[in-house]
Amino acid sequence: MRQIVLSTLYLLIASLFSQLSFAGESLKADHIKISWLIPNSFSENTETLIGIRFQMDEHWHVYWKNPGDSGAAPKFRIVAKNASVSEVLWPYPSRLPIAHLTNLGYDDETVYFFKIKPNSSSPIELEANLEWLVCKDECVPGFGQVNFSRPVKGNSSNFTSESLLILKKFEKRIPSQGLNSPYRIEVSDTPAELTAKVSSQTILPEKIDLFPVDPDYLQPSQPKISRNQVTYEVTFKKSSTAQKPDRFAFVLTADSQPYDFSDIRLSVASNNSKESLSLAVLLVLLGSALLGGIFLNLMPCVFPVISIKAISLLKNDNPKARARDGILYTLGVLTTFAGLGAGFLILRNLGSSVGWGFQLQSPSVVLSLILLFWLMALNFLGVFEFGTSVMNSSASIRWQSSFGTGILSVFIAAPCTGPFMGTALGATATMPGYQAMIVFLALGLGLALPYLLLTLSHPLARRMPKPGAWMETLKQFFAFPLFATVLWLLWVLGQQTGSQGWLVSGIALLGVSFAIWLGQSKKKFWVLLAWLTAIITIVYSVHKVRTFDAEGSQSSFSNDWQIYTEQKLTTALKNGQPVFVDFTAAWCITCQVNKKNVLETADADIAFRTKNILRLKADWTKQDPLITQALSRLRRNSVPVYAFYSGKDLESHELLPQILTIEMIENLIPYKEE
Amino acid sequence: MKKILIISLMALLPAAFAQAEAIPGKPAPAFDVKDANGKARSLADSKGKWTVLEWTNKDCPYVKKHYESNNMQSLQKTYTGKNVVWYSVISSAKGNQGHLSAADALKNANDKKSSASAILLDDSGAMGKAYGAKTTPHMYIIDPTGNIVYAGGIDNNDSADQKVISTSKNYVAAALDAGMAGKKIETSSARPYGCSVKY
Repeated sequence: MRQIVLSTLYLLIASLFSQLSFAGESLKADHIKISWLIPNSFSENTETLIGIRFQMDEHWHVYWKNPGDSGAAPKFRIVAKNASVSEVLWPYPSRLPIAHLTNLGYDDETVYFFKIKPNSSSPIELEANLEWLVCKDECVPGFGQVNFSRPVKGNSSNFTSESLLILKKFEKRIPSQGLNSPYRIEVSDTPAELTAKVSSQTILPEKIDLFPVDPDYLQPSQPKISRNQVTYEVTFKKSSTAQKPDRFAFVLTADSQPYDFSDIRLSVASNNSKESLSLAVLLVLLGSALLGGIFLNLMPCVFPVISIKAISLLKNDNPKARARDGILYTLGVLTTFAGLGAGFLILRNLGSSVGWGFQLQSPSVVLSLILLFWLMALNFLGVFEFGTSVMNSSASIRWQSSFGTGILSVFIAAPCTGPFMGTALGATATMPGYQAMIVFLALGLGLALPYLLLTLSHPLARRMPKPGAWMETLKQFFAFPLFATVLWLLWVLGQQTGSQGWLVSGIALLGVSFAIWLGQSKKKFWVLLAWLTAIITIVYSVHKVRTFDAEGSQSSFSNDWQIYTEQKLTTALKNGQPVFVDFTAAWCITCQVNKKNVLETADADIAFRTKNILRLKADWTKQDPLITQALSRLRRNSVPVYAFYSGKDLESHELLPQILTIEMIENLIPYKEE
Repeated sequence: MKKILIISLMALLPAAFAQAEAIPGKPAPAFDVKDANGKARSLADSKGKWTVLEWTNKDCPYVKKHYESNNMQSLQKTYTGKNVVWYSVISSAKGNQGHLSAADALKNANDKKSSASAILLDDSGAMGKAYGAKTTPHMYIIDPTGNIVYAGGIDNNDSADQKVISTSKNYVAAALDAGMAGKKIETSSARPYGCSVKY
């Protein structure tokens, strides 16, 4: 008995609070009436635009998705049966001044829209749980539910003319895709203000307005709008507390035609001066670049070549010649780094988003490297001698040879972004050109340094082993790391171009090997034919491979890893789930080592699982501007980068070292609710 | 090494905003008002202590959300228990919603079982405007050296529904816990939500 009384009481209170005793197609609450604008029946095949109409008492208002200084956007939780329903489509708002504040919303009446499409011919049932805030000077929140059920039949949805009239009136206020409009928006800022330049590819509209979508950073009050010959300048006041977002989104109205613009970044072009770094920071960067360069010597792609070069030195006893050799080699390295650096800076200035290792994103470059490593390996094995060999092991030192080896080492080193290099290379993306160039050169100097010291220092040279037959054996042995590199690069190419790419590179290797065999003939004709074969094969294959696209470029990773999108990242963070992002590329060997040794082991799997960490893989094997942008937000432009996001937004993240251990994964601490 | 880099980079960011408002990282604006007991209160009084400012309006649905759920009172109780000074500030002008006379303010605080250190009466709105308080509840935290370390909403869910409180991230509690433990405050500002302050 007591239970009945209690539950009756509860029901009574509940109905009092929600002010509706049962959920129908419309509801009435304080200062507001809410109703569906739906057809009597839905079209079977097409999308139908439906709406929820909010009618307020005079001068009461409800809000846009960015409510402005105070207030709150209505919340819609939609449960649909037999249909799929889009996100809310928000009509563009009006600015509503409330005392000293500005709200963005709708006075008197508005309609929030949805697109709905039937999944079958069964009747569509829809339940919308609503929360809203309706305000004049004071505010009244409300909660409620509106439902409907409608049949699906025929080829068109039939609305009553009355509903249609209201829908049409507000439908005009739904923004369309800004990229398809003739208008473009560029933003730049000063400490207190942000200016959006609106330009047009056709003629400028008579009247414009601009609404910021993000509620935090820009103040919702009426921006200053000024017009000159070719653009409108819209200047917003910034909120003094919020952090600057990476991207901006606006709704533009041009002569009452609304357009949606998202993903607008602060234009860098407008402030040409990149942030100049203080001397201390620059020195730290240079130190790490130098150290990174030295470590590059130990990488599997570079080590054999440098070693052979060093060994060849043993045969030369003339200190002057040795010193000259070392200096020439260093010059070769530095020139190449300067060249690559210049290329990088030019691309950066053109606005292209590139990063270190960008060369390897082109299949042609990868194929060229495959051929290069293949030839070097064959040479090491003694299959043939180069005429004027870059790898020349004879006693005479030709300047081309030393210089050439310098160039070569830079190219083969590129895939191995070693430890310490990430920080320095990342910084080059945002620093002034001349400073970036100094960092590049420091990296080059680091790469050249061990060999340079060897050639310059007598005590060091004296400690080297005596030359002998073992040198030939070692050289042959070093052919195998090079073959391994070929294998790995072939795999990279396979990731980029699919099986077609494999075939073409196989043909290239075959053709070049055959040409070498031909070329060993004493007769001029055969030598000529050999050159011809080699050139045709190389030109053909390098050109051909560019045209392939990986048909099924799905990298083979386990299902626990999902492909990175910013959407997935932000959604997970919003839901309180921490995220681990693996920025990787097939051509990055450190990445592959980490993947096999740590990331895709059972231990890591358990660690990720128990902490409920979402695993995202951002694959940079091919040029992908979105991933480049994500990297640059982390102030990096090379891979590997391991980022652990554990807060509610992109700001709170932690970067792991470039060489991972399983302990690092096990020690990740997800954000905890306090 | 990375840390040095990040810190130096941050130091290079332009940090100057010339506005009379409470901005995280800057000294808190001074104030001089009477509390509901008639006692004068100023910023200098709470120097050396952690101080929380809570803009309030008893009739605002968002204030009700946090008082009817007892969320605000338990925060007040927890932190005043840890020697934090907690001021509830009423900036509603006379005749506007939420305005209370000294006696009514005391009664209201008593009814709601508030554990605030004092209720500040800012009828003129001078204090609210100095801080740039926009909404109720709008929250500020001042550290013992007198700098603002947090400004914004109480949590990350602008619903008026009490049910969401348990799953919301409370920025004020997080900032106080981190700051008092000498740790970095992860979120130092957030969008203030709620009703407009009725100046």
